[in-house]
Amino acid sequence: MTAVDYINLLISSLLLAGIYAAMAVGMTVIYGVMKIVNLAHAGFLMLGAYFAYELFDRFHLHPMLCAALALPVFFVFGMAVHWLLVRWLPKSDTPTLASLLLMFGFWQVLQNIGNLVWGTQAYSILTPLTISSVRWGEISVPKVSLVVFAAAAASLVLLRFVFNYSWFGRSMRSLIQNPYAAQIVGVDDRRTAMLSFGLGTAFAGFAGALLATLFPFTPDFGASFQLRAFVIIVLGGLESVSGVALGALILALLETFSINLPFPWYSHGWTKVYLPASYQPAVSFVLLVVALLVLPRGVAGLLERKWRTA
Amino acid sequence: MKNLSQLRAALCRLVALVIVTGALGVVPAAAQGASSGDAITVGVVMPITGREAKPGQYQKEGIELAIKQINDAGGIMVKDKGKKLLIKEVFYDDGSDSAKSAALAERVMSSDNATAVIGGYSTALGEAESVMPDRYQTPWLTAGAAATSIFSRGYKYTFGVLSPIKLLGVTTAEFLGSLVDQGKLKKGLKIALVVENTDHGVDYVNGIQEWIKAHPGYFEVVLSEKFELGGTDFSGLLQKVKTSRADIFLSDAHLQDYITMQRQYLQAGLHHQVISYGARGPESDARKALGAGTDYILAALWWSDKLPYAQAQKFITDYKAMYNRGPDSWYAATAYDAMRILAQSIEAAGTLKKDKIRDQLAKAQLKGSLLPGQVLSFGPNGQAGYPFLVVQNKPGDKTDIVYPKDAATGAAVAPIP
Amino acid sequence: MRGFPTGGRLKVILPCLVLLVLALLPLAEPSPNMVKVIFITALWTTTSLAWNLLGGFAGQVSFGFAVFYGLGAYTAALMINEGATPWIAFLAAGAVAAIASFLIGLPTFRLRGPYFAIATIGVNEAFRVVMNNVDFTGGASGYRVTEAGPFRQLEHYYTALTLVTLAVVVSSLIASSKFGLALRAIKQDQDAAAAVGVNPYLGKLWVHAIAAALTGMAGGVFARYALFIYPGGVFSFQTSISILLMPVIGGIGTVWGAVFGGIIFGVVEEQLVAKFPNIHLLLYGLLLMLIILFEPDGLMGLLRRAAKLFRRRREDSGSSNPDQVLWGSGRAAGREL
Repeated sequence: MTAVDYINLLISSLLLAGIYAAMAVGMTVIYGVMKIVNLAHAGFLMLGAYFAYELFDRFHLHPMLCAALALPVFFVFGMAVHWLLVRWLPKSDTPTLASLLLMFGFWQVLQNIGNLVWGTQAYSILTPLTISSVRWGEISVPKVSLVVFAAAAASLVLLRFVFNYSWFGRSMRSLIQNPYAAQIVGVDDRRTAMLSFGLGTAFAGFAGALLATLFPFTPDFGASFQLRAFVIIVLGGLESVSGVALGALILALLETFSINLPFPWYSHGWTKVYLPASYQPAVSFVLLVVALLVLPRGVAGLLERKWRTA
Repeated sequence: MKNLSQLRAALCRLVALVIVTGALGVVPAAAQGASSGDAITVGVVMPITGREAKPGQYQKEGIELAIKQINDAGGIMVKDKGKKLLIKEVFYDDGSDSAKSAALAERVMSSDNATAVIGGYSTALGEAESVMPDRYQTPWLTAGAAATSIFSRGYKYTFGVLSPIKLLGVTTAEFLGSLVDQGKLKKGLKIALVVENTDHGVDYVNGIQEWIKAHPGYFEVVLSEKFELGGTDFSGLLQKVKTSRADIFLSDAHLQDYITMQRQYLQAGLHHQVISYGARGPESDARKALGAGTDYILAALWWSDKLPYAQAQKFITDYKAMYNRGPDSWYAATAYDAMRILAQSIEAAGTLKKDKIRDQLAKAQLKGSLLPGQVLSFGPNGQAGYPFLVVQNKPGDKTDIVYPKDAATGAAVAPIP
Repeated sequence: MRGFPTGGRLKVILPCLVLLVLALLPLAEPSPNMVKVIFITALWTTTSLAWNLLGGFAGQVSFGFAVFYGLGAYTAALMINEGATPWIAFLAAGAVAAIASFLIGLPTFRLRGPYFAIATIGVNEAFRVVMNNVDFTGGASGYRVTEAGPFRQLEHYYTALTLVTLAVVVSSLIASSKFGLALRAIKQDQDAAAAVGVNPYLGKLWVHAIAAALTGMAGGVFARYALFIYPGGVFSFQTSISILLMPVIGGIGTVWGAVFGGIIFGVVEEQLVAKFPNIHLLLYGLLLMLIILFEPDGLMGLLRRAAKLFRRRREDSGSSNPDQVLWGSGRAAGREL
């Protein structure tokens, strides 16, 4: 592999990390504030994708505009879902199985509604932008990926701003850190929970709309992304948006390079072996299990602990 | 759950749901009883939803066109009933799911008492269905599954209208070799093989490798990878193709994966001297989605609407009359002939006894077939074997047959500009 | 037998009657499709009962039971192709699945609650991807079973019935034993259970193994019937979901709830797959949500409440004797799933 190949791979990983981060941050917020493992996240991603498709197909809006529109629409939708379903769940400071299964059931329902309304064929959003790419010598980057990365990065910066500098963001952070203490100092946990759920859903819809411009989608396409979102949460920890970005970067790098870098393997002497591309999905799954076992507070937590003891 | 009325309401809702689901189960079962009476029951198990929906739909249309034509002529003459019987189609949609496909094939053979079944578009679904025909001793034809593994098991009741995939691979390699001989391509070019992770893909690779071994010096395979069906992200795989520095990109994929992969291929800025996706290429969905991005792609097909046979042209006219559009690629044609050879065999058997029909199918010869060679018959293992056509997409939404020479309608363009 | 339900002989006689009817059903010449429906239902019910051992009795929700189903299917398929008698193949299938459950449980049982559940999803999908790529079992193309001799549908039918009866008996025995009590303690509060001398880690491992063995055997029986198995079917996440849904909908933690869930699921699946292939997710999703929100004891719990309403029996004090584990103990205070 030449240097150019490495650069190509690095660029793809970065672009991928951007979209992964945008996708994971929705689930992170909900998980952090309410300790709910939102398995319906996949359903929201899917709905975001179809939302963007419908707007694109019927009104010929620019896909990025569709994605931007997804934010407020899904915010309201998320709050509605919270009010109808989620607020009945027993509150807890660790994730409960009831919440897991409820959101899972909701995901199945959303998936089936998707099947009924749009069928099980794959849809995609195809614009002239879709197959064009930017080229510098031997390095080529698809234009769509660049645009999506920019949108994802912008949304994350916006979220970070909200998280760190707004009153709402501070309420969320305090609930993430210690829900009981937060209530004692006067944070309205019910309202913050509803708003957080809305925010998480809004980002899920937004990310889904962005994903729709990159990949073909069917009603069950959220599943693989959802698992990746959970890996990112586990890797990146819950404390900050930068944690999510870090986790996304680690996952994207591992996924891209694991099948392109040679491993030494002993078979009649040491040889170089490449992992077949079809094993790529397994990378995130294995990473998930390992991360859950080894890094309960994420990589960010690991680093934090090291700094604290210094 | 605070008070009794709330409980009762919830209780009623749930009980109602249970009753409804039970009814959904019982009513269709009761309404079934599908013994043929005075018609020949032919089961059709095709995907019209899911990943393989489009080709499955086209195959269904081909079968139904044939059934309509046969029924319009009065039906099939069954000697031991002394009269012509109409064909009754029992159709099930397997949703592109292998397990469902097998279950539905079993159902149509056992409970619906089908005399014969046509089904299994795509090797994955065909393989699942293929275990049922011998169990229920019902003839089963497939116009959409061509992997040799289906027909190498000693099954007696399976028949494949498609030529083997291995031959598809060999034909593709042979055609590329002819391009080298013509001087259009240099010798010793490198090939990247990226195939779907099914027996279809495996057979394709075997075909290509077989030809390459028999003709040393022509080509060299530098990459051989598999991908999962219905994948969304091939960028990692295509990165590998890029780093392999291959000159020729050969893939074997089904329609959805073809479109996805070609799209990401273009996005990654890849370019090769020759591109092929196995038996995919000129499909209108791909053309619509990617436009000029599908130009110059080669495909080795079982049939093309550019074939000069009179019966092929008549088929196209009839198809257009019934469905208001022309047949897309080869899907409908093979299914049409599957139904026709079945009908011919039933008539030749003179009875609805399935083992006799099976015997007739084994030695059947459909003259005036749409397929290359104009005669369709099955080999000793149940699979047909007629030559492939190689077509190439040309700019402006055109397609040309480029191989074999005597059927060619245009010259091959290689390397791709 | 100590601990066997005494309250109402009906509870023992009714299931035995049902079993008798099913065993004698072939005399009434049912259609092959009906035999198949009962066969598949029996297999699903077995997996439902198996999952209930881990998820209902011990409270560990696993999303990865398809691993055992698939391993059992492939083991049995491989052995039958080598000429082994089916019974040995099924036992081997159960054994392989049980061994796998140890390997999976050893690391993952250190995790609690939803973390364990998510980890099992990861394990399930990793297995599927690996099986898709392993060549000697055919990879993603699947694997075929070739068995000499004619196809006797009734043989498969009785095998499945035997298996499901075994599962019911095993579940009932565990429920009414000291082991079952330990499991229930683990479910309610793992640390408190450890404090009184139960070893939660070992308990979870053992019940996981038994559940895996039953599921593996069900997979083996399925493989022999279907003759063609492939990773996307027997190792799929969808299969794991189905196995989980049955006991939760029917009544988690209770033996007959798991059976009930299995029956509903099997019948609905087989009939829906032909006529309405597009609404079963909706159905199960809705049922699941309604159950979590209103009646965590599932349909069984609802029926019991209805029975109580109509018979106006005095409320149970909430003690958990084996009778209640079999038939459902209602919402004990502070109980979460």
